[in-house]
Amino acid sequence: MTVVPQGGDSLARGGGGGGGTGGLYDILELILDRGLVIDVFVRVSLVGIEILKIDARVVVASVDTYLRFAEACNRLDLETGRKAPSKLTDVVGEVTEGGAHGKSKGALTGAVEAFTESLQHGSDDREEEQESAVRRERASHRSARRREE
Amino acid sequence: MAVYVYSVVAADHPLRLNGLDGVGNPPSKLRTVRDGDLVAVVSDTSGELRPKRRDLGAHQAVQERLMADGTVLPLQFGLTAPDDDAVREALAARNEEYTRRLADLEGCAEYHIKASQEEAALLRRILLESDDARALNDRIIGGDRDPELPLALGEMIMREVQRRQDAMAAAAVDALSPFAREVRGSPPTGQDFLNASFLVGQDDEERFLSAEKGLSADLGEGVDLRLRGPLPPYSFV
Repeated sequence: MTVVPQGGDSLARGGGGGGGTGGLYDILELILDRGLVIDVFVRVSLVGIEILKIDARVVVASVDTYLRFAEACNRLDLETGRKAPSKLTDVVGEVTEGGAHGKSKGALTGAVEAFTESLQHGSDDREEEQESAVRRERASHRSARRREE
Repeated sequence: MAVYVYSVVAADHPLRLNGLDGVGNPPSKLRTVRDGDLVAVVSDTSGELRPKRRDLGAHQAVQERLMADGTVLPLQFGLTAPDDDAVREALAARNEEYTRRLADLEGCAEYHIKASQEEAALLRRILLESDDARALNDRIIGGDRDPELPLALGEMIMREVQRRQDAMAAAAVDALSPFAREVRGSPPTGQDFLNASFLVGQDDEERFLSAEKGLSADLGEGVDLRLRGPLPPYSFV
């Protein structure tokens, strides 16, 4: 658990705002989606914003989801409280990452995480890179969606 | 030139904006536009804006600075007006509403809480507590190739994960709500199972925070509770 006793300190530090913003990601949706909206004002076109909104946690009741949970259970070693022998775990882990797990987590989560990286650590140069990474992720998400349909 | 609008405050707010930069590159200069007893904090903008760390941080820093000295109505990120006159008109048009909201929110801050849970720990607990799930799991591990087994196990587990996490989310909101004036939940994102905002008055702040600490202990290991605040009341304007 992380308590930020003064929300302002982490952001305002450095005077310019945006420095050391480890907590900024968690309040991103507040800044982007909430707040007062004055209807006669125009919202500037914001590249990348729509992807943040779609990142809802949707656990779809699907064969993929079931199999992912089943695999995750099969991997557990209930006796010792540790994971099953590492050889097997590694293999299954990789397959799962690339398959059902990756899909059910959603390509978008990855995109947002990449975006977060830029929020937390990025210089502005890196942000440019991150933005193109986000676009790539969006493209791959669309194709993932098509596959599911 | 278009103006980016950050916040609305009462005209008697001290407006200590020195040392803060506005959005944009190079950073814009913060200034104020006043209409009667309301003031909007604005900066000139070319109109092009991206949700970058720097700009989001600048938007947020303005809110927090204003919040330190009084009540603030934080605007949603990215709103621009064509010119200062349009800002004045907007303030005048909703003067009563904004004044009332400022009064309602006086002495209050938003606390935002999210929670996620380590999946392996949760699955292990479910398997240990559910004989049916464990029996299915044992058959699969034991080499039974019936393709229905993983589906049955997975469906059972998924339902149980959702049931438990929904219950935890509800318990968390119940534990904190008594110390909040308003609560606003929203669909969790990513790996989180809880996503809620609480409007907390100064008088209740200590009790709210200690309830949150107790909650964190109650939820136990494997649950990661992230509390952010005090924040400007984005969710309650």
